[in-house]
Amino acid sequence: MSELKVAVIGGGIAGLSAAYFLAKSGAEVEVFEQRYLLYGASGRNSGGLTVQFNDEELIKLALRSLDLYDELQSEVKFNFLLRKDGYLKIANKNDEAKLESEASLLKKFGVKIEILNQNEVKELVPDINTKAFDLAYYFSKGGTVFPWPVIWGLARGCKALGVKVYDYTPATVVVENGSVKGVQTLDGLHKADFVINAAGAWSNEVSKSAGVELDNKIFKENICVTESLRPYLDPYIFDVSNNAYLSQSMRGEIVGGVVGREIDQIDKKGELDPLIRYAKFATNLIPKLKGLSVLRQWVGVYDLGKNGKPVIGFTKVKGFVQLNGFGRHGMSLGLAAGEKVAEMVLKK
Amino acid sequence: MKDRKVVCRCEDLTEEDIIKAIEEGYDDLESLKRYTGATTGPCQGKGCLMHLIRILSQKTGKKPEEIGVTTQRQPVNPVPLYVLAEGEYE
Repeated sequence: MSELKVAVIGGGIAGLSAAYFLAKSGAEVEVFEQRYLLYGASGRNSGGLTVQFNDEELIKLALRSLDLYDELQSEVKFNFLLRKDGYLKIANKNDEAKLESEASLLKKFGVKIEILNQNEVKELVPDINTKAFDLAYYFSKGGTVFPWPVIWGLARGCKALGVKVYDYTPATVVVENGSVKGVQTLDGLHKADFVINAAGAWSNEVSKSAGVELDNKIFKENICVTESLRPYLDPYIFDVSNNAYLSQSMRGEIVGGVVGREIDQIDKKGELDPLIRYAKFATNLIPKLKGLSVLRQWVGVYDLGKNGKPVIGFTKVKGFVQLNGFGRHGMSLGLAAGEKVAEMVLKK
Repeated sequence: MKDRKVVCRCEDLTEEDIIKAIEEGYDDLESLKRYTGATTGPCQGKGCLMHLIRILSQKTGKKPEEIGVTTQRQPVNPVPLYVLAEGEYE
């Protein structure tokens, strides 16, 4: 069909999703990943899936993403290790207004958020310390996904549609007379009608190479895993007041951390302070976890649009498209955002 | 059964499992680690990393120096949450 050529910079969830949907409609797509797939935030997050956002656009993307997880994992024939066993937001009283407004906004979209009392939470998570929180907002259709197979599955789906996925291939944008010409890699120029910037924490630099100001904020977050237990903990738990979270992956590990902080320069050095804060949070919330050992801690970096929202859409440079700035929620938003950008490009 | 060469005891992986993953295209160390799960169990690579590098070297012809090692992450040995929870932070 069309001769449409698209280059995607960044082999994470958003970029691969865009590549997949573009290729499905007949576009010729190349994906450029600077390191290995999973090097960025798509390979370093804890896999929480929810629609509990205080913003209509985000809710729409998150709802669509949940459907896409189901559709795509059968389409690309890859098990995403996805469990829709619920997403639980807990908080102390001070944050009641925040959770209330989120819940009432979600109601507009027909999404049911259940407000649970301590006993109902205990039914969901039998060993939870009910003194560790005052409020609980539960989205039963959220859950936990293992991020790695999502990326492998998408990459496989892309390749089956003829997409070229290049790893260890950094790329910059080439612009001529206000329009993109393609991307430049060490082996030369790859021509493209559209270049999609899905480079996560590296999006600012990619955008700069196109001469477009982006100014996303960069964050650094420490996450850790423990030894594996048999399936035990159903919902993903996010503590709004302590800014900390934990869940159990399909491999049985307890995965968790504390929310990251803004940094000036990308740095991936693990830090002890967040690990101590997490250990205090986890052992207070579920005291039975205290004997469990932490095997490994790592750092992920992610970007957030400067106004606190993802950056999705066309720019002043013709053919240069932003698909970044998802903050902590790339896994919840990225699939639908990729699909949306693919539609925008195809319509142009 | 006696021909099975176990290279990763934590994740129960044989040499054949590793070779299959390399043949599927997970032929750089970081991807091979994640796809097979080798080096991500309780030993964190202490028992298996050298085997992974050896097999990868034999299959791809790359020298061990070119293959490198996976990022070594803290803690060196597993640490229980209750021990970490006794720490202090700024």
